[in-house]
Amino acid sequence: MEPRAPAPTLPNPLREGLVAERIPEPATMVIFGASGDLARRKLLPALYSLTRDRLLPSRFAVLGFGRQAIDDEAFREEMRRGCEEFARRRPLDAATWSGFARNLFYQQGAYDDPAAFQRLSARLAEIEQALGLPGNRVFYLSTPPSTFAPVIRSLGQARLAPRPEPGKPFARVIIEKPFGIDLETARALNHQVHEILDERQIYRIDHYLGKETVQNLLVFRFANGIFEPLWNNHFIDHVQITGAETVGVEGRGGYFEQAGILRDMVQNHLLQVLSLAAMEPPVTFEADGVRDEKLKVLKALRHIPSSDFDRQVIRAQYAAGSIGGRAVPAYRSEPGVDAHSTTETYVALKIFIDSWRWAGVPFYLRSGKRLPKRATEIAIHFKEAPHLLFGRRAETIRPNVLSIRIQPDEGIALNFGSKLPGPAMEVAPVSMEFRYGTSFGVEPPEAYERLLLDCLLGDGTLFTRADEVEASWTWVSRIHKRWAEETAAGDTNLPTYPAGTWGPEEADRMLAADGRAWRLP
Amino acid sequence: MSEAERARANFERFARGEPIAVEVGEIERELGSLWQQASQAGGSVVSRAVLWNLVVPTRGQAGLEKTKALCDALAPVVPVRAIALCIDDASGGSALTATIDSNVVSQPGGGRVVCCEEISLVGPPGTEAHFGAIVRALQVPGVRTATLWMDAAMPSALLARELLPATRRLIVDTASCGRPIQLRDLEALATRAYPRPVADLGWLRLESFRLLFAGLFDPPVGGGPLRHASRLTVRYRAGGDVSALLAVAWLGLLLDWKPTRAAETSDGGLRFDFERDDQGQVQAFLSPSGAACDRSAILAIELVNGRDEYAVIRTAVDQAEVRLPIAPPRTVKLDAASDAELVVAALGPRGRDPLFARSLTYAARLWSLEPRSAGSRR
Repeated sequence: MEPRAPAPTLPNPLREGLVAERIPEPATMVIFGASGDLARRKLLPALYSLTRDRLLPSRFAVLGFGRQAIDDEAFREEMRRGCEEFARRRPLDAATWSGFARNLFYQQGAYDDPAAFQRLSARLAEIEQALGLPGNRVFYLSTPPSTFAPVIRSLGQARLAPRPEPGKPFARVIIEKPFGIDLETARALNHQVHEILDERQIYRIDHYLGKETVQNLLVFRFANGIFEPLWNNHFIDHVQITGAETVGVEGRGGYFEQAGILRDMVQNHLLQVLSLAAMEPPVTFEADGVRDEKLKVLKALRHIPSSDFDRQVIRAQYAAGSIGGRAVPAYRSEPGVDAHSTTETYVALKIFIDSWRWAGVPFYLRSGKRLPKRATEIAIHFKEAPHLLFGRRAETIRPNVLSIRIQPDEGIALNFGSKLPGPAMEVAPVSMEFRYGTSFGVEPPEAYERLLLDCLLGDGTLFTRADEVEASWTWVSRIHKRWAEETAAGDTNLPTYPAGTWGPEEADRMLAADGRAWRLP
Repeated sequence: MSEAERARANFERFARGEPIAVEVGEIERELGSLWQQASQAGGSVVSRAVLWNLVVPTRGQAGLEKTKALCDALAPVVPVRAIALCIDDASGGSALTATIDSNVVSQPGGGRVVCCEEISLVGPPGTEAHFGAIVRALQVPGVRTATLWMDAAMPSALLARELLPATRRLIVDTASCGRPIQLRDLEALATRAYPRPVADLGWLRLESFRLLFAGLFDPPVGGGPLRHASRLTVRYRAGGDVSALLAVAWLGLLLDWKPTRAAETSDGGLRFDFERDDQGQVQAFLSPSGAACDRSAILAIELVNGRDEYAVIRTAVDQAEVRLPIAPPRTVKLDAASDAELVVAALGPRGRDPLFARSLTYAARLWSLEPRSAGSRR
């Protein structure tokens, strides 16, 4: 059945001044992979919390689609347990849950079965008819990457995702990472997706961009007069971006063997964070204004020459060690991992951005599994004062560091030197901190809440555009290519680091060679 | 007791959050000294945090206790330097006395603390003449100052002459207006405070109902039915006239209704007649009830447009039923916030809602239409 065109509606004058001045239009969200972990731990809890905060339209339905043969009631029960455990707004409010759960539905089917998509279409029409929904749809692909193209093709064949037309209901598709495994596959996937969908309908999700501190980075830079004038190579010595995890492969050895940390963390999360930290002020704070500037940064990433490769790219694997007081095995001993694997669990990179603003400023990125603590941060290391007045005491004066903590404990800290009380001119580093938890006293919303709401509102600012994905893969794929050549040449000896340490010595030496050291996040 | 012993005892009481009597002129020095001791005693740096100077004038010991409880509840959420100014009619002496106490908030795990402080000044009637100068001296520099003006028993000259010049945000509570005529006093106060934002805890209490009612007219319904509204009913808990007036004022203002007439109704409520911008007529009824309610005092808002009804009706203290013609009724949660939570909201962006001042003016205008009949609540 063709979706019904909604009647034109007049603006709602009573929204003036209320917390949410824009509420999405009534819609149905179809979640492919609804019986999976992401739906239970993140998506449904996020939708419930949005409902609880009255940020979703009063008429909103969720239709889960998955291989598992369960009925609506079983799906609701499973999602209730997920929301009880993971929703930000807990404990569940009985009245809110009851209204929310009433509009949760489930449809069993295979992702490559055209008949299943016909049944999905009929079920959607039935739900929309019963709830008076106007036919707006968001399709969330929480499925393995290999299913992205078949699902989108099936959506097209079932006429479930028509291209946007004024006055017609919308159809949007959210695609989870990874978007491709290299440049060729990303391009191929973009091509397949664009055969069915307009780019404006595609929302490539990177949950890091939904985090409050990542968004605050833009506010911090562009809403404060004092930082942006310093945000360049005249004042900044170097930048460190860290994405550290304590977890290992957590039973996903098979997946991680194919991915590695460069694909899993750097190509998407850390390069997105880097592009926000390094971009020029956008002309407007609209989706394409911001994404155009991020793209320029990604295109300006200098390719690492072969001669400097070993000095600018360090990869390693974790060896056995200790995390949180318990012994953990080496990567090569994890289930599903090849005993001779060359997949990296740690990577450190020295990156240059070829632009006027950043000429000569190295960006050091590192990401790893089984590091001592979970922490993601950007640390802006400023240059030393041009002349130090304080003689031998100057040894204790350290350059200023502005650290932007993305997770956990979201906040910003500025380190500077201060005179120690007393007759002597002794200098000690002190820290000025802003933390979300203590300054605002509220827990920031979950990244998925913000991103799902933005998609429903049609705002793509915090989603990744096709050209951004291809630009980041262009840069990352050259590293993979070099590693593949090394492996083919029989060079399979990766440096190792004991689990529970901050990475291999080679990574420390990379910075030491430049007279610098990694900051402890 | 030696000076050192006294200082030690004071510090221990301060660390426990107990009030310590200090000389009025020595407040800042004593606070500095006590926090310094706290740093030395704890072996790590103590972070004194303050996002607002919060001035709270109040009358009597009961008011002071209430103020202190409010500040204790605020501390974990918004660190403030609270300055309580109390006129105590039962005070024996003739001079002001001062106490200071700490609010220390530990983070989970106990590793980090945020510390802020409360300063209480108490004196007999007449000592309020000193309050302005003391507040100016005690404001943490570079930090905004809000005045929480909720005690109708306080002399308004204190606010107008002494506190407003130092205030960046004024917070009031229309729920404490015993009679609707006080809306006009509040309107005058808001005018005097301009351009400082005036936040109202009563207005913030209405927000839950306003959100639900506004939600009825989100797409696909849209604002169309509002244009041809013919009847509005606001049911409220008896005594909550001010809240009900503000709710009607909110709708009248945003829907551009012009009030033309007022009359009393047989149930002890009021009826207002409005003219819509298309010259159509709207009748609004304010209907009191004895039903249970939270401090927002609103029990239901019902709007009729021809044969269609759009309504949010409280079914329990924390629940409401939402009704609109195109969908079955549904039950939703009604949020109720404590006074401390409302003060936090009032210190944030929600405390700068210009719609409140406009609604207050409109409500005062409605009240001025009320018939001067016997038994009037003026």
